[in-house]
Amino acid sequence: MSARDDILGAIRSCRRSAAVRPAAYDPPANGGDAVERFSALATRAAAEVRVLDSEADIPAAVAEVLRARNMPARVHVPDGSTLKGADWTVACEPTPPGPDDAAVTRAPFGIAETGTLAYPSARAEPASWHFRPGLEIAVLKADDILPHMENVLARVKANGMPATLNFVTGPSRTGDIEQTLELGAHGPKALAILVVRA
Amino acid sequence: MKQDPLAFREAAHKAMDDPRLKLALGRIKSHFQLGRGFAATHYPDFERLRDRGADIRAHALANLDTLLGTFERSVIARGGHVHWARDAKEAREIVLGILNESGARTVTKGKSMVTEEIALNPFLEANGIVPIETDLGEYIIQLRDEPPSHIIAPAFHLNKEDVADAFRAAHTSLDPARNLDERTTLVLEARQMLREKFEAADAGITGANFLAAQEGAAVIVTNEGNGDLTRLLPRTHIVVTGIEKVVPDLSDVAVLLRLLTRSATGQAITSYVSVMTGPRAAGETDGPEHFHVVLVDNGRTRLMGTDAEDTLRCIRCSACLNHCPIYAAVGGHAYGATYPGPIGAALNPNLLGLAAAHHHPNASTFCGRCAEVCPVKIPLPKIMRYWRAREVAAGLAPASARFGLGLWAFAAKRPALYRFGARMATRLLKRLAGKRGAVKALPLMGGWFAVRDLPAPQGKTFQEMWAEKK
Repeated sequence: MSARDDILGAIRSCRRSAAVRPAAYDPPANGGDAVERFSALATRAAAEVRVLDSEADIPAAVAEVLRARNMPARVHVPDGSTLKGADWTVACEPTPPGPDDAAVTRAPFGIAETGTLAYPSARAEPASWHFRPGLEIAVLKADDILPHMENVLARVKANGMPATLNFVTGPSRTGDIEQTLELGAHGPKALAILVVRA
Repeated sequence: MKQDPLAFREAAHKAMDDPRLKLALGRIKSHFQLGRGFAATHYPDFERLRDRGADIRAHALANLDTLLGTFERSVIARGGHVHWARDAKEAREIVLGILNESGARTVTKGKSMVTEEIALNPFLEANGIVPIETDLGEYIIQLRDEPPSHIIAPAFHLNKEDVADAFRAAHTSLDPARNLDERTTLVLEARQMLREKFEAADAGITGANFLAAQEGAAVIVTNEGNGDLTRLLPRTHIVVTGIEKVVPDLSDVAVLLRLLTRSATGQAITSYVSVMTGPRAAGETDGPEHFHVVLVDNGRTRLMGTDAEDTLRCIRCSACLNHCPIYAAVGGHAYGATYPGPIGAALNPNLLGLAAAHHHPNASTFCGRCAEVCPVKIPLPKIMRYWRAREVAAGLAPASARFGLGLWAFAAKRPALYRFGARMATRLLKRLAGKRGAVKALPLMGGWFAVRDLPAPQGKTFQEMWAEKK
């Protein structure tokens, strides 16, 4: 008998309860404006949120985020990203970012319930870019902020599950030394989110 | 460091005499209990959420064979591989086989209790493979050659000076005179040292907090992002996890996540939640080329159909540890097992055998807080009682306890004798107590009386008073 058959056989031979599948969970309504709630919760998770009027404002906002943090005027943008064509005022590199670099990524979805970004991996959206840089600057359209994780999952699954789906809430952190919060454990030390209204 | 669950009593005494451990354990209340309490109160309907979480897990366990079959088909359909391990030895050998086949020499590891449970690291080392723990807490205890002392905070027992000492000893390429007084400096140093390891690793091993059958997905929950670098940078990604982790689909995971993070750290969600369904897709520039899932039984099916089956609902949040007065007094290492605290007391007699772990279900005051805070409503005290009954039946309970209980049972079954005995004992204790009203000592009970007096009964027994009232 294979291990597989043994294990499944052992499960089947047990007294089983006839538990019915619970109905789909209906999360409590978030209430209020989605952008406001998203921004407030992302900020609480130590992200910096800027709300922009249009896509045209992205390059200036990115430059400002770098300047405010005293970082070099250089960002990494993955090949094939729709952000590639922006009117950058800072240097733009296609290589994977190092642990002190800044990367600009496009988040296809946001979650208002928790201030979370959702990234299905794709050719032009490499998953490791959410973990390699020192600073991640995420671009998110206001209309793509959905109420709950369940809504995002439904949208992602409609397009076919990606190899990796990352949910990101604030920068990397650890409490492993004396249970005291420190930012920038392995992933980004900082996360800036540009919410674009139009 | 050798783990010995039979030495629980001695280890617990030693732990209580350790002032540095006491300092570390003092952080449970401020860092874990308050966080969980705040998060539970601020969620609009946490009790309904707990009910739903318990129902989801109970339903999944009742359909475990079907769900595992679906999970396996989904993973294979997406180009991944599924392996089944009856026990720890099989699991270790499967992992080694995958690593050897892919020619891997160095392996980064995300935090995984199942790989602790199957003692994977020493086995890999003995076979010429270098496993590198990347969760900061796991990294620290790996450097110190210790097992984790807490399920979600493996280095919970340490203070920052201990971490500084471990880093100074291990990171010999850095200036020995560098300042390591601040936590921030320690975190940055680990970030720097481990980034090189991530980039160089041939394979990555992670656990899974959940498996979603329909999507063929393994889901991990981290705050550091180490699990993701472990998955995404090497050529091969191996997920090692227990068979009980599977639920029907990702919508179930979304519900359980709300419970897990709130119960664990008090967060509404962790920094990272990663859904991993297979190797990189065509055209993708990162992600593993090979994706394996090792499904480990290791005693889990033995619990099914027993009165301890609800233990398998566990989502490893640690809330029961964080609210346990015993854990708060002795810490995790005293248990001498991978899983400490109330969940350890429920799991270990099965996992390690009753003869080895029979002390653990007794390491409880039965205050019931573990069950009150459990996000999936596991009746932990009931399960500890289940093991205690088996301990007595197996003749493993100490002779004095068996003698005492036997004596009590003999009397309890004979009402006249019981009433007479109770009357005698009441009068005797009152006499012993004298004017103080409290007994200072009794033979064979020195330990109990060392820190307290026994308030003595002051008159008649309850039954006598009841009879008079009628």
